[in-house]
Amino acid sequence: MNAFQASVRSAMRRFARRVAVGHFLEIWPLWAVPSLLLAGLIALVCRMFFPSAAEILVWLWLAPVVAIFPAFIICIARAYRPSEIVALADSLDGGQGLLLTLLETGDPAWTGAPALENFSRRPLPRLRPRRLLWKFLPAAAFLLAALLVPQRVPAGPGNTILANDIAEDLKTTLAELTKRDLITPAEEKKLEEEIERIRKSALERVDSSSWEAADALREKLAANLSEKHDALKWAQESLARYAAASAQGVADNPAHESDIEEIARAIETLSRSGLLADAPADLRRLLGGSSTATSGNVRLATDARSLRKLADSLSTYLAKRSEGLRDLSRLGKESGWFDPSEYPQFSYDRGPDGDGDPGSGGLNRGRGDAPLTWGKESLPFDRFKAVALPPGAVRSPDDWAPVAVLPGAPKASPEIGAQAPAQDYAGTAGQAAWRRTLVPRHRSAVKKYFENSPSAR
Amino acid sequence: MNPEAKSLLTPEAVAGAQTKIARLVNELRRVILGKEQMIDEVVAALLAHGHVLLEGLPGLGKTELVKALSRLLSFNFRRIQFTPDLLPTDITGSHILQEREGRKEFVFHPGPVFTNLLLADEINRASPKTQAALLEAMQERRVTTFGETRVLPDPFFVLATQNPIELEGTYPLPEAQLDRFMFKVEIAGVERQVLEEILVTRVHGEPPALEPALSASELHTLFTMVDTVHLPRAVANYIARLVAASHPKSAEAPEVVRDFVKYGSSPRGAIAIGAGARGLALLRGKPNVGFDEVRRVAAPALAHRLVLDYAARLEGWDGRRIVSALLEAVPDIERGLPQTLEAQK
Repeated sequence: MNAFQASVRSAMRRFARRVAVGHFLEIWPLWAVPSLLLAGLIALVCRMFFPSAAEILVWLWLAPVVAIFPAFIICIARAYRPSEIVALADSLDGGQGLLLTLLETGDPAWTGAPALENFSRRPLPRLRPRRLLWKFLPAAAFLLAALLVPQRVPAGPGNTILANDIAEDLKTTLAELTKRDLITPAEEKKLEEEIERIRKSALERVDSSSWEAADALREKLAANLSEKHDALKWAQESLARYAAASAQGVADNPAHESDIEEIARAIETLSRSGLLADAPADLRRLLGGSSTATSGNVRLATDARSLRKLADSLSTYLAKRSEGLRDLSRLGKESGWFDPSEYPQFSYDRGPDGDGDPGSGGLNRGRGDAPLTWGKESLPFDRFKAVALPPGAVRSPDDWAPVAVLPGAPKASPEIGAQAPAQDYAGTAGQAAWRRTLVPRHRSAVKKYFENSPSAR
Repeated sequence: MNPEAKSLLTPEAVAGAQTKIARLVNELRRVILGKEQMIDEVVAALLAHGHVLLEGLPGLGKTELVKALSRLLSFNFRRIQFTPDLLPTDITGSHILQEREGRKEFVFHPGPVFTNLLLADEINRASPKTQAALLEAMQERRVTTFGETRVLPDPFFVLATQNPIELEGTYPLPEAQLDRFMFKVEIAGVERQVLEEILVTRVHGEPPALEPALSASELHTLFTMVDTVHLPRAVANYIARLVAASHPKSAEAPEVVRDFVKYGSSPRGAIAIGAGARGLALLRGKPNVGFDEVRRVAAPALAHRLVLDYAARLEGWDGRRIVSALLEAVPDIERGLPQTLEAQK
């Protein structure tokens, strides 16, 4: 292009740049549109099967940007040659052929021709971005629609969430008990193993048994707490009785001896339940050594003074532990148990159906967040109406007439005998009912009330 | 610089040539009123050493144009009125037994073809045999009789005329002979204003007196200059694509060519376009051929070289109309603007 004048050369360079831009914008959509469609497809697949990818899907909008690179490479490979650029320019300039001729011959004699000056003043071809936009719109709409599809959560991973949820509740309870020294390390380890077993079981399959197992463990914890509470209460009561007897000065009374015995048994129970494990040192000393607190072998002092001192010290310690246990009285019952007081909005005052809207729940229609499908209910005027039956009439004895008169005593009727199996079933029907509804851990508790053997009753 | 590069005609040389050609053209325009396009085509073919077939109704100035050319160019001019009983020897000449210095011998009497400018008037009225007598003369510019070959004067042009009507008793020119004509120029009727001008300026219809506009040497210089006019590669590519697309079996052929054209143009068609475009470029004062010159001469150079199907006649398609469709279908440059760009006027 050196054959051209500076002004023509400059115009030709501008023209070449504009053509290159137009060429790129012609090729880029050929890659960008499929890339958008591919991104839409990927978004759809992720929405259906890969929930974990949901957060990065928005980056798919960068697909057209990525398509710049292959488009750029193709643009370079198929770039307009200088002769093609000049031919284009010549054609747009009226097809005079002078630009082409000068490119081929380089003859300087014609560089000042008026036709060349006209070219340098000619406006560049105009870019038409609307054509570009129309190519993009359908593909971009597809990607947008794919991104707007709600994320589908597969059923499988839900078990993990539920299993972790069940285990988390139990672990929280266990941690609270450990924090308050209400369980021994051995019990803690055993409970942890049991919680893990429940969690693994729930990972495989979540059904009513998973919740029942969790409830059973909670109940066990609650029973353990209750046992401790009972032992503590017994000890406090026995100490109170001893204190009252001592105040009345009946130390030689045999009944007083029995109070001391009761205190000893109560301390043994306390020791077995682990409540004396963190007793203060002076109390341990009064109880007969550190081993008493754990082994339960109590050797109480015989003199009244030491006994009174022990009673005072023990009363103080038990009062402190009693406060901690009172705080934990609801421990183990907080999770998984239905407590109407937690749901005041579903109180019975609002009617058995909650607020009456389907899906809003109600105390007698399942959990509030459960999907309710009631089908088509009868309208009030369609419901069954009470219809008064005609009054019954007692048949007159005169209507009875003997069919036959047989000699001898009456015999058992075969029709009555045929009813026997039904009667047998009726006798065990109640038993079958509770067997189906009660969980296994409760059976032993109520079994004795339903035993058929007379000895059990 | 391109290895094929060659020096162009200088602007001064081109301007000088244009002045001379313009003198000739202006004089012709004085004779034939309102036929500027036809005159340009004839002069372009003349500058490119091409023969021209003029087709038009009687009285449109075909013969007058040729006669004016002969006067303006100081050429030897012969006219042959083609008739059905015309013999080939009436054109080429024949040997006649003559007595010379007591001896009888055959002496060659040159026919009217031995001239610079031959007007073959109503060429389609002669028999094919007589028409064929012009074949060698037109293509090789020589005549062979009795085994002797004689070169025709240089320059040698044939300007033939034919009447598109009154076809009874005529012999349409065979394709081989039509191919020898560089251009087939169709002469249309005159417009009302031109008729009015003719009536005012010419009492008996006689043409104005003419003086020679170009000498033989000037004409030879012009012939040399025409051959020097540059044909850019891209323009040559356009001509090649145009001619290739005139073949119905070509991949680039437009639908109209596939439907109505039996045989496309021969390579002579491409050569004729190139040569005619060179002549027209010089006439326009350009040192090179452009796409515009090619578009301008494509119809007279290609139309008579297309062998049309009978369906074309039924549908009202002729050669010129098909060439127009070709020009619309074939882009001048092989690789156009990207679709995202729009040229501004």
